[in-house]
Amino acid sequence: MTKTTLLAALVGSTCLANAALSQELNALVWCDHTDASFVAPFEEEFGVTVNLKEYEGTGAALSLIETSQPGDWDVLVVDGIDVPRVVAAGILGPLNTDELPYDTLFPELVMEENHVIDGVTYAISEKYGYNTVSFNSEVFTAEDMADMTRLWSGDFAGQLAVYDYYLPVMGMIAVGLGMDTATLSMDDLPAIEEALLALKDSASSVGEVVSSQTAIATGEVDILVGGGEWVTAGLTADLPNLDWIIPEQGAVRWSQSIGVFADSAQPDLAQEFVKYVLSPEGQAALATSSCYWAMPANAAAADVLTDDQKRALRWDDQASYLARALLYPAPDAELDAAMQDVWTRFLAR
Amino acid sequence: MTRYLACALYMILLYGFIFLPVGVLVLFSFQDGRFPIPPFQGFSLRWHREVLGDGDLMAALGNSLLVAVASSLVALTLGFLAARAFATARLPGVTALRGALMAPLSVSYLVIGLGLLASFNLMGLSKSLWTVAAGHVVINTPLCFAICAAALGEAQVSAERAARDLGAGEFRVMTLVTAPMILPALIAAFLLSVTFSWDELIIAFLLSRFDVTLPVEIWSLLRSGLNPKTNAIGSLVFLVSALAILSFELTLARRK
Amino acid sequence: MSHRASIETRATRRAWWLAAPALLWTLAFFILPFGTMAVLSLWQRTDLGLEATWDLGNYASFLANPAYIQALTNSLEITVTVTILSVLLAYPLAWIIAEEIPERFRRLALALAVIPFWTSYVVRSYAWSLVLAKSGVLNDWLGAVGLGPLDLANSRAATVIGFTHFFTMLLTLSIYASLVQMPPNLRRAAADLGAGAFATFRLIVLPLTLPGVMVGAFLTFALCIGDYVTPQILGGGNDLALPQLIMLQIGRRADLPMAAALSIILMLAVTLAYLGMARWMKVVR
Repeated sequence: MTKTTLLAALVGSTCLANAALSQELNALVWCDHTDASFVAPFEEEFGVTVNLKEYEGTGAALSLIETSQPGDWDVLVVDGIDVPRVVAAGILGPLNTDELPYDTLFPELVMEENHVIDGVTYAISEKYGYNTVSFNSEVFTAEDMADMTRLWSGDFAGQLAVYDYYLPVMGMIAVGLGMDTATLSMDDLPAIEEALLALKDSASSVGEVVSSQTAIATGEVDILVGGGEWVTAGLTADLPNLDWIIPEQGAVRWSQSIGVFADSAQPDLAQEFVKYVLSPEGQAALATSSCYWAMPANAAAADVLTDDQKRALRWDDQASYLARALLYPAPDAELDAAMQDVWTRFLAR
Repeated sequence: MTRYLACALYMILLYGFIFLPVGVLVLFSFQDGRFPIPPFQGFSLRWHREVLGDGDLMAALGNSLLVAVASSLVALTLGFLAARAFATARLPGVTALRGALMAPLSVSYLVIGLGLLASFNLMGLSKSLWTVAAGHVVINTPLCFAICAAALGEAQVSAERAARDLGAGEFRVMTLVTAPMILPALIAAFLLSVTFSWDELIIAFLLSRFDVTLPVEIWSLLRSGLNPKTNAIGSLVFLVSALAILSFELTLARRK
Repeated sequence: MSHRASIETRATRRAWWLAAPALLWTLAFFILPFGTMAVLSLWQRTDLGLEATWDLGNYASFLANPAYIQALTNSLEITVTVTILSVLLAYPLAWIIAEEIPERFRRLALALAVIPFWTSYVVRSYAWSLVLAKSGVLNDWLGAVGLGPLDLANSRAATVIGFTHFFTMLLTLSIYASLVQMPPNLRRAAADLGAGAFATFRLIVLPLTLPGVMVGAFLTFALCIGDYVTPQILGGGNDLALPQLIMLQIGRRADLPMAAALSIILMLAVTLAYLGMARWMKVVR
């Protein structure tokens, strides 16, 4: 072997060894974490690679986890309302609360009843928003949208699309009918189903994130039920006519939390990632991700966000919004199965 | 004359139908604006540039090629060997065996993918490009087997027998006698397998984790937000493969 | 043992060795997973995980749920429509390419028919939704000619169009292969005996090419009924098909047993179609 070949082999093997040694953090997340610019600062600081897998609903995430091996995942982002269920299934491990910014979190987002179980903290809120009504302000005014019951009364037949996620949409309808999402029971379902099926008759389509955005952005529909700032805020630059409002009956608030897997092989690194996501820089990047925009849970992000971004997020109106929005329903297994059956009937109509 | 006109009209209509979505796709990949909807706002290479600079998309493209070529080679080998088996000897239970080999053709990819997902999970295997390739071999082997079996006739069997009488070992017989004789069929089977594997979504979606193939990456892109990048990657793939096929056709035609 | 017999035993043994890899792969990665699915379909999903209840509960849930039966009906209706439509569109095109086009252009004609399908399947379906949208390309053209806008997007019509687009190409190839294999002398003989063009077609060409058509139609049926992407992208959530129902079980509830049961039902539909076709072919012969 010539000297150059030997040298090349040495360099090659060192590179390979380095690549093998480079740590990898595996995170199961909503699509707003997948921007390269979001994880780049963390990857650079710790010299690791962050692998991201996105899912479109808690059920999909649970499916993925169930068909994976222990140690496959390190970090989990999941809807705040699902944290107790996920903890009960033994998926999340304890979180170290010392270095997390509880003092600058929006108080409504601390959500102890979801995140602290038997005195142990398992997750922390990272982002929140609303499932309410998005609309094309060139066709409808805020007054048109103020009464939620008009959505299923037939007034807007063929002009609306529905976001395909049963929990928030059924929660919205419950709020519209004057119910409290925290105390939903099987007796409430018939009324919800009636309104829901009437809503389907007025709906031109039912779809997930991109179908919903496409539908309202292309003018296929002028109202999106279940939409909110997460549909429109990122599009305001190109389509300033898209707007959203919380009707007088109220709306539903969603929030997503972040935690560490119980069987993660590198809990310390995972904990560092959680810290990064909750930092002002991480929060600002998360709030303005290319997938969907929404409010960060850590108010300290205000220092990093621009005025235009805060305007698009309605930063100054948040106090009144938080007061009028209720949490997602948190059904037990039986009610959950019943709700999903109602939703299947809704889709099949 | 009317027959000629009628045929021409029918061809124009049908080819128009076939090319319509692709034409729209390519056109709007050059759209100067965020939304791939009419009216066409002006020519821009922005999205193509973004696609070529998108590390995830390019990695997925590479993975797709890798999985397609690897799984097609394996499927071709398995199919070729099995076709030879049925051509050269009378095996007991030939209908049942042949049925078993061809069965995956009529099973939905969704079912194959779910079955493999459940099995791999029970076996404790992690999802990866290897599991995707294994799934693609399952869907491609029946095709390769059928094509090779159709191509292996009396001529090949006698040629093999002659070679064996002259003292050639099994491996030499296969590679130096049989394979060259049915080369067009082998190439056709390989290309068909690559096509099926390249475009396959469901099995790749269910059986991969972080290293994904192109259809899965595009599917994720589509689920993450309104994105003209999908048009750009679709038209890039189309243009490159159209060029490849047309140049292949022309060079072959010139040779003839 | 005679010389000939020993050659034959050696040939048989060698054949087993040759067939073994393919058979083993099929066994390990197809038959066993399929068996796993069949077993799983008899289990139930509970809050704590999978429970091996060994009953037909999932199948009972399917039969008891009108929305689920509707999904199966939707799938069957769509698939049959697509199959018939694709055959009707593909046969003339295959004929034209095989008979009317000069030989040296035939492969080019076939290649042109296939090339558009070298874009990504997902992106192509999405492109159809662009074409069929309310403010999409099709309505743009219709508007230019003065015809009213068609509301085709997010409907069964869109799904059928998207499917027919692909399967017309597939059937064209399959029918072409069958037409090309037909000996031309038969038709010439019929003409010599005084048969008109239509009679020749009906009594000679059609019966001879029917097996090719049937095989293509069966492949279309099997691929169409099991496809998830096209109804999901083009149907707009308005027309639940069986594959979407299956994915719903995975995506929402992580209910692998129910998904397995629905998959078995899907396979039953395809098997019945296959048996129907096989019996029909036997009757025709």
